[in-house]
Amino acid sequence: MSAIARWLGDRLPVSGQRFRELTNEPVPYHLKRWWFALGGTPAYLFIVQIGTGILLAFYYEASPSAAYDSVASITRDVSFGWYIRSLHKWAATLMIVAVILHQIRVFFTGAYRKPREINWIVGMCLLFCTLMTGFTGYSLVYEQLSYWGATVGANITATVPLVGEFLKRMMLAGDAYNQATLSRFFVLHAAVLPVTIILLLGVHITIIRLQGVTEFRFKDEDSGIPKTFNFFPDHLYTELIIGLVLMVLLSALATILPATLGPAANPLQTPDVIKPEWFFYVAFRWLKLFSGTAAVLSMGFIAFVMFAWPFIDAWIRKHTRFQEASVWIGIVGVLAIVGMTVWEALVRH
Amino acid sequence: MDEMRGAGGPSEGGDRRGFLRNASQAAMVAGLVGGYGGLAAIAGRYLYPARTGEVLWQFVTEIDGLEVGDAIRYRGPSGETVNITRRARTGTADDFIALSSTCPHLGCQVRWEAQHNRFFCPCHNGVFDPTGKATGGPPGEAGQSLPRYALRVEKGLLQIAVPPPRFADGQEQPGMLAEADGINGPGHDPCLRCARPRGRSDADA
Repeated sequence: MSAIARWLGDRLPVSGQRFRELTNEPVPYHLKRWWFALGGTPAYLFIVQIGTGILLAFYYEASPSAAYDSVASITRDVSFGWYIRSLHKWAATLMIVAVILHQIRVFFTGAYRKPREINWIVGMCLLFCTLMTGFTGYSLVYEQLSYWGATVGANITATVPLVGEFLKRMMLAGDAYNQATLSRFFVLHAAVLPVTIILLLGVHITIIRLQGVTEFRFKDEDSGIPKTFNFFPDHLYTELIIGLVLMVLLSALATILPATLGPAANPLQTPDVIKPEWFFYVAFRWLKLFSGTAAVLSMGFIAFVMFAWPFIDAWIRKHTRFQEASVWIGIVGVLAIVGMTVWEALVRH
Repeated sequence: MDEMRGAGGPSEGGDRRGFLRNASQAAMVAGLVGGYGGLAAIAGRYLYPARTGEVLWQFVTEIDGLEVGDAIRYRGPSGETVNITRRARTGTADDFIALSSTCPHLGCQVRWEAQHNRFFCPCHNGVFDPTGKATGGPPGEAGQSLPRYALRVEKGLLQIAVPPPRFADGQEQPGMLAEADGINGPGHDPCLRCARPRGRSDADA
């Protein structure tokens, strides 16, 4: 064993000691509280998505004539296909929930404030990439609702002033959904967006390591507890336990509520009731409240405010006496998002 | 070193060297931007779908087969769906109106509601009158009517102007759609909920 270690050591100038030093970042004590580990949760789920996504890609065919049948075949015929597909679906759902919860936690603890503004923006990019991956992934199933969801999504893009039509044509590979659209969605879903997410995650984690995690103290905490604990092995074990709990949860969801398959896409007939995936309910409701360009421009403005929030918040704190305005704005924002999502979920049209 | 700089003296030599360094750096940057920028432009052009603007005249049906008030649904070679209704009996193309069944708001398929004498879009509650004019919902507010297609009659045959097929393979044949595909123009009141996608079952879950 030592001979192998010596042979490797001569060729790879990395020792266990050096590795421990590199990873042994002191972690603030508040990370022992589970809701502060919500950043690691989507990262873990993303790894599950890569694993299950690769397995699904072995059988999936990205063409309008074969896509639906290949998904049906994965679900019905392939050994454990239903389980892998259901894991992929539920990990996607939980990943979006975890990213949103992580963002809410960062927002309400003010962890985006100077000097962490850039990492907030990187996080916002990750949120949008995650939503885009959800959108393109759902479109690949090629069932009625996913087909019409993609059609509506592309046409929403077209209402963006100046570049909308260009973006829509790039997205659909033509003026409307056609033979080439699905392969475009597949490449975005399985290659472009995951690679972008990996790069952004790398930047996100590097900035966290360079700046250190924000430190918090809670009123009910014993003053005698240490300020930090070790990343390796303490925090790594916490993350591994979270990973195990998530795996059990995913497995249970996949088994009890497996991914279903609606009627195949029919480009000739829009279903009587059409809904996107739940995470787009708020945007869908917004589109019903305001007409075309007004809805898209206002959504663009909200997205801009979300990206620029650290700077807007700094301006408010500097120039007004409302030091905690972000908390109240955040509460209104969360209530509005939850309210419109529930509203859209409860009505037919 | 001073001898190597020549008669110009140290400052002139330094200027020259600085100029050459800056110029070579600028040339390098320009080369990289030009080279990889050109590649990016070609990649963008490759990804952006071509648009030819061509129009094909396609046969739809014999005009004698349609009575005043009848409607048919037609699908063009690149998949566009059109409701064609006969409104008069003079024997010319003006007898007919060809309206896209794709809602101009966000691309859903509109359906004919005979009881309300209107086209209705189920996605965002868009409403259109029998001539395609938007009268309610987001299309009504934005003034987006159903697009019209040009028609002509030659030797008793109705023809429509549609874009040519985008891809050679795997395209559905153009032509009139059957009742099962959901004919949804004035003159028809199909049981839309009963119409199922061809060859599929709802119980595929």
